[in-house]
Amino acid sequence: MNIDFLQIVMVLGTLTCVLGVIFCVRTARTRFDQVEAPNKEVNLGIVRVPPLTFAKLLAFASLIVLPAGAVFLANYHTFEGVHEVRGCASCHIMLPMVNDMQDPMSGTLAARHYKNRWIAENQCYHCHSDYGLGGNLEAKMTGFRHLARYTTRTYHEPIQARVRFDNKNCLNCHAGTPRFEAVQSHKTAHERLISNQMICLNCHGQPHPTSVQRTPGSNDYARLTEKMK
Amino acid sequence: MPAENGSESKDRQTSFDISRRQVLLTLGGLGAAICAGAATWGGLELMVSARQTVDSWNKAVCRFCGTGCGVMVGMKDGRVVDVRGDELAHNKGVICIKGSMLPELTRIQGRLKSPKIRRAGKLVDASWDEAMGLVAARFSQCIDQFGPDSVEFYGSGQLFTEESYTANKLFKAGIRTNNVDGNPRLCMASAVTGYVSTFGKDEPPGCYADADHADCYFMIGANPYECHPPIFERIRQRKRANPNTVIICVDPRRTKTAEHSDIHLAVIPGTDLLLLNSMAFVIFDDGLQDQNFIDKHVRFSDGERDVDQAAFQQFLRSYTPEKVEQELGVSAGDIRRVAYLFAKSPATMSLWTMGINQRTQGTFLNSALNGLHLITGQIGRPGATPFSLTGQPNACGGVRDTGALSHTLPGGRLVANPEHRQEMEKIWKVPEGTLSAKPGFDAVNLFRAMEDGRVKAVLIMCTNPGTSLPAAGRYHAAMEKCFTVVSDPLEDSETQRHAQVVLPAALWIEKQGVTGQGERRYQLTPKLLDPPGQARSDLQILVDLAARLGHDKLITARTPQAVWDEWREVSSHSLYNFKGITYDRLAKERGLQWPCPTEDHPGTARRYVEGDDPFVTKGAGIEFYGNHDKKAVVYLRPYVPSPEKRSVEYPLYLTTGRVLEQFHTGTMTDRIAELHRATGDATFDLNPGDAYRLRVRTGDRIEVKSKYGSVIGQARTTEASLPGVIFAAFYDAKLLVNRSVADNYDPTSKEPEYKVTAVSVRKVTV
Repeated sequence: MNIDFLQIVMVLGTLTCVLGVIFCVRTARTRFDQVEAPNKEVNLGIVRVPPLTFAKLLAFASLIVLPAGAVFLANYHTFEGVHEVRGCASCHIMLPMVNDMQDPMSGTLAARHYKNRWIAENQCYHCHSDYGLGGNLEAKMTGFRHLARYTTRTYHEPIQARVRFDNKNCLNCHAGTPRFEAVQSHKTAHERLISNQMICLNCHGQPHPTSVQRTPGSNDYARLTEKMK
Repeated sequence: MPAENGSESKDRQTSFDISRRQVLLTLGGLGAAICAGAATWGGLELMVSARQTVDSWNKAVCRFCGTGCGVMVGMKDGRVVDVRGDELAHNKGVICIKGSMLPELTRIQGRLKSPKIRRAGKLVDASWDEAMGLVAARFSQCIDQFGPDSVEFYGSGQLFTEESYTANKLFKAGIRTNNVDGNPRLCMASAVTGYVSTFGKDEPPGCYADADHADCYFMIGANPYECHPPIFERIRQRKRANPNTVIICVDPRRTKTAEHSDIHLAVIPGTDLLLLNSMAFVIFDDGLQDQNFIDKHVRFSDGERDVDQAAFQQFLRSYTPEKVEQELGVSAGDIRRVAYLFAKSPATMSLWTMGINQRTQGTFLNSALNGLHLITGQIGRPGATPFSLTGQPNACGGVRDTGALSHTLPGGRLVANPEHRQEMEKIWKVPEGTLSAKPGFDAVNLFRAMEDGRVKAVLIMCTNPGTSLPAAGRYHAAMEKCFTVVSDPLEDSETQRHAQVVLPAALWIEKQGVTGQGERRYQLTPKLLDPPGQARSDLQILVDLAARLGHDKLITARTPQAVWDEWREVSSHSLYNFKGITYDRLAKERGLQWPCPTEDHPGTARRYVEGDDPFVTKGAGIEFYGNHDKKAVVYLRPYVPSPEKRSVEYPLYLTTGRVLEQFHTGTMTDRIAELHRATGDATFDLNPGDAYRLRVRTGDRIEVKSKYGSVIGQARTTEASLPGVIFAAFYDAKLLVNRSVADNYDPTSKEPEYKVTAVSVRKVTV
């Protein structure tokens, strides 16, 4: 069976939540002033604690430790989960990009990188590496805005990138390779490429379907927004 | 748990009791959380808007080559801060390094800001009135004293259509001379004669989108990797999506295009008509022709009279692969292989440019290429087309379509045809007999006429013949003898050194106008900036000149849009009809391909094809309506060796061309630091084997000498040059390789043969 790390995180997170709920109910039903018999210690395996201490520990776990753990695991799962292509595809608005990338007949940059296995996994994240847990603040801010727009349905198609695509995403892999260095223009435009004054896409083409293709009612719209199998 | 205990159960009840205060607190907390979220969102929305790096994105067209890429120009605070490929334009967002540097073009050093008049050998600043007064006086004087044919307009495939149209009308219908020519003569005149002789009408039948559908690309005498990068990128995308696609490159150099091709046939310079005829032989010999298509749509001709197919096949017998392989430099097996791929691929697209056009047999080569497509039926389907790429952004739309050449009139009409002259006289509302029946001087003969005094005054606009003419030394002297007026955005061009008056012109988005690129697509460049200093658009200069010469009643359209509307109306009287391409549509749509007769017509991607082309008769399928019998003509075109043949005295071939980072004579691109750094100064590229034999190493200075002149420059050894062939790029005025290029031209198209010059090479030791 193929269980990856994220699935373990998800199971752990679910367990934490369930445990948290059980502990909370238990804590809520406990009357701390009436916990008696200090001599009837509770055996916790390695140490024996008095009932009141146990109740307090339980309360601490249910109100602080487990919720914090659940929040951490959920965030971790979300931020790491979105590295996967299916994470991106879970929003309807991203379907055209994902469907096009996985279309072997498409000539877009995304599709070429995908079909030629230039990137083995997490193909979206490889070129858009500013999101995720370790991503920068700007990506977090934009991400929050996108989430707000998406959940409140206050966007309209076709969506358009407002921020400039960071060349670093390309250069991380390509810079320094013999093929890259063999092109004279790369050397002379080096400064401009590093500083994002000139975008790689100018010469190397369309990364995703055009805004016209992504407009509802276009010839390609239905095909591009098909739910992923 | 002891549930019976009354007090405990009461207590437990109380512990779950929620007081009003608690409800309010909870709701308040929730409300505060929502408010905080909403405020963050709102704040972020404002921040994103405030952090935009551009105020507006404006649709425009790249200034440089004939691909005519759509670009988006990002403006902030009145400056161009960014340029990107327009994803919705025909180029699908792909531009090249030159286009990416367009923001720098708007801040380029060395702009002309004031008119200049040569006084005591030096160009000194003058007012517009002084300069234009002098120009008008000298032109009038020449016309009065020596007749209208003593003045000439030498234009450019880089002027806007409105400008070329106005100049053409002013000179032909106003001054009454057909002395209107320009630099398109140097780059695509052979493509024009090729298309006209085959289809009856100029301009390619296909479109760039054919590159998305072809299965075989036959690239001959073209280096799109460097000269039309977005088109080559498109071909490579097709190849990546469909690995069975075959890219064939015929070129005497191992260019970047050849490197990325599947088959490279390195022909000996000047011999490739042998290849085309031999391929035609194999096609008939192996029964690869599309007989059905030939029977329906093709007529054969020997150039004088019609002949039958048998005569054509008989003619081809002298070109069997075995007979030509030695002289051609390509093996018989390769010829057969390529002929089969060409004929039998599901769709074959030929792409050619200067390697075919700039030849003494340019017209023949063009008609032979068109012929190959006709005998194999590789035309009129997506991906199947004979496509001549063009070098400049508006040679097609501005010069070929408006008829701004010495032998043509607007809309595909000819000066020599009395009916055509009459039609134009009627359309332009000028008296009968206004248009001269005598074709004017073509580019090379114009400069020869300047040399011997037949032409006394010339207006050169937006081009730099001082660097771009062959045998340049000879024609520099010719410019000295003539009253030469140059309108140019930039100072210090090779041409200006010989000029009497220099006029500062607006550049790119400093003026508005339409350009027509290689696939019959008209696109609008908007005015986004003001020209520097006193610079004016070339249209303003022409309108001013017309008024000063007394032709203000003829040149009534004085703004770009007014001229365009007039030209649109003129076109409706021809098979070029694009009356439906209005400025409004051009401002909104990503360019439109003519024919486009009405405002609701979507434009014509593939010409002569029913469903696309409005002029094809219903039910005809394919119809070559440019010819009287609606058939295309396949010619018997015999191979004639170039006058430049290698000899003991001149044992090598010199060929010239472009490089990726430079456009044309480099007056713009070589001033942009990044592009200059990319290429450095131009060198003579020679094969390491040749270099070894000549005891020359990279960096040595060599003298390259032909019958026409000698040039000293730096040598560079590279495998891109094959044995026996030297290459130099023509952008660099410091090298000025054209001084040694042969002064021969095609007798029909009058296009010079830049690609074949026999030279000797000697190491300069001093």
